[in-house]
Amino acid sequence: MGSAQGGRVRLTQSHSGRDTVPVQTEKMRHLYVVIDCSRSMEDQDLKPNRLTSTLKLMEAFVDEYFDQNPISQVGIITTKNKRAEKLTDLAGNPKKHITALMKAVDTVCVGEPSLYNSLNLAIQTLKHMPGHTSREILIILSSLTTCDPANIYELIKTLKSLKVRVSVIGLSAEVRVCTVLTRETGGSYHVILDESHFKELLMLHIKPPPASSSSECSLIRMGFPQHTIASVTDQDAKPSFSMSHLDSSSGPGLSLGGYFCPQCHATYTELPVECKVCGLTLVSAPHLARSFHHLFPLQAFIESPVENLQGDRFCQACQAELKDKSVFSCPSCHSVFCVECDLFIHESLHCCPCCIYRQTAP
Amino acid sequence: MMRNNVLFDETLPKSRPEDEINLLVIVVDVNPIWWGQQAQRDPQFTLSKCMDAVMVMGNAHMAMARTNKLAVIASHCQGSHFLYPSKSWSGGDGGGNDASSSGDGKYELLSAANNLIAEEIRNIMSKIEVTGNSTDTLLAGSLAKALCYIHRLTKELEVGQEIKSRILVVKAAEDCALQYMNFMNVIFAAQKQNILIDACVLDSDSGLLQQACDITGGLYLKIPQKVALAQYLLWVFLPDSEQRSQLVLPPPAHVDYRAACFCHRNLIEIGYVCSVCLSIFCNFSPICTTCETAFKIQLPQIVKPKKKKLKQPM
Repeated sequence: MGSAQGGRVRLTQSHSGRDTVPVQTEKMRHLYVVIDCSRSMEDQDLKPNRLTSTLKLMEAFVDEYFDQNPISQVGIITTKNKRAEKLTDLAGNPKKHITALMKAVDTVCVGEPSLYNSLNLAIQTLKHMPGHTSREILIILSSLTTCDPANIYELIKTLKSLKVRVSVIGLSAEVRVCTVLTRETGGSYHVILDESHFKELLMLHIKPPPASSSSECSLIRMGFPQHTIASVTDQDAKPSFSMSHLDSSSGPGLSLGGYFCPQCHATYTELPVECKVCGLTLVSAPHLARSFHHLFPLQAFIESPVENLQGDRFCQACQAELKDKSVFSCPSCHSVFCVECDLFIHESLHCCPCCIYRQTAP
Repeated sequence: MMRNNVLFDETLPKSRPEDEINLLVIVVDVNPIWWGQQAQRDPQFTLSKCMDAVMVMGNAHMAMARTNKLAVIASHCQGSHFLYPSKSWSGGDGGGNDASSSGDGKYELLSAANNLIAEEIRNIMSKIEVTGNSTDTLLAGSLAKALCYIHRLTKELEVGQEIKSRILVVKAAEDCALQYMNFMNVIFAAQKQNILIDACVLDSDSGLLQQACDITGGLYLKIPQKVALAQYLLWVFLPDSEQRSQLVLPPPAHVDYRAACFCHRNLIEIGYVCSVCLSIFCNFSPICTTCETAFKIQLPQIVKPKKKKLKQPM
């Protein structure tokens, strides 16, 4: 039961401050992750070395990020040898990033990182992003030095004026310039203790940040394409090239079905995507629905000792006998759940199984 | 010098067949209003015939392998109830000695299961009181309970055992639009846990279940003839996901993923989405009706004509 208790403690820490009024969070996020590839990344304090460990955690991060923020985008920048270069552009498809991350394991770590160059490179794209989206940069810095061609404090002022939020995860020790950078732009700065702490800190950035009052609210025009499945025997089925091949190195794929952009009828095989021909953002309704649980978060259940319970001692979700010391009850429908179901409901389900029956009023 | 020191043989199956548990959870829609009307429309196919077909399916699943497990949930307008395994049953091999021995030599577990299901459904149907405003079956709650049950069984596994679960929904009444959000939450939770949701629809097509089957990778089938329910269940829904790749099954349904606008509930192809609350509108409006934020309207930029500097005559 040790792990369940540990998980329960972790959850209460994230629950504290959770109130019934939903906090507005950023939905469309543009996040650049800067990965330090300098010589210090070959250090073996994280197994097998810092670079491999970071890249592996980044793959899990990318997957989970698109799960929680389906209409957001991520880009990856690497920095070494006093230069910065883009590993992947800002995109909404996790597969591209994961392939690039897997290939990056072979890069040679050499030289010193450059904070200025990587921030500059990220700003070039982020400053063109519309005002209602969030602009974020996450830097994973392992070196204690940085080689900048110009005054970084000027760049920090530019970042602040562009409303870019920069956060840093340090792998070695606290560096003053990072403290100033994150404090001025409103981000967070943490230094890792060990590998599991590293994972925890990375996962903190997956949850959408609360929307700042300065972010603009606007109506975004989006398309909801239908998925057509056609077979060769259909009379009107016309094969078409998928536009997503323009990015990938593999050759153009001819397909019969797919998603057709409602504005220009370009074909795509996967959603969400931004149409390359007409610029319309294409999503499907379930993608938007994935973000709903951030809008309407589930209330924390009330813990109470099991002795106070009258009647049958069964968890109303999984039908297990209640043998733990404490049980959890939902504040709205007063149903009783065991500790495992409480964790599962708050982490994965995001809805109380019994409250649904009380929502009968239209 | 050691060459190709193979630490373990990759050709051996990773786990013994006894270690893989196949769990099937059947969620049956027992909406009393729909079934009452159905009994009047077509006396040949009533709720008891439907439960017979479900019991045949359950027995067949448990008979396929010794490690297969079954659970049956009845879903109606006021709640959902586990028909099997039931809280009052002690479970395992020692329970129900007197009730389970049937005269025809059937495997005891199967006859115990059948008797339990029959008894529980009788209890439920006699206790249901239908109030005026709640007449729809709320499947999302039953699916959520099924997921919690699967989660509990996954946690209770012994070392080396694996579990593969799927949910089969037998749906009778129409969809209830109120449960859209809860339904989507349940679907995403199932997809994350790799749990398939299959749907066997008796009467009217259900957009929500079509999306559920599409997203989780399950099968959706609307039955042409209700009296042949047992046949469809056994032919289409009994094989598990590995075996399905070898079979020719009904083609996937065309799922309509267009969103419905919040103002008219029409299905739209291009719409406007509020960046704060993600509500979808079909027309541009300056204020979002859900979260009441005023939107910044993009005005076309006015280009000031450049004043040409006159060259001074020299």
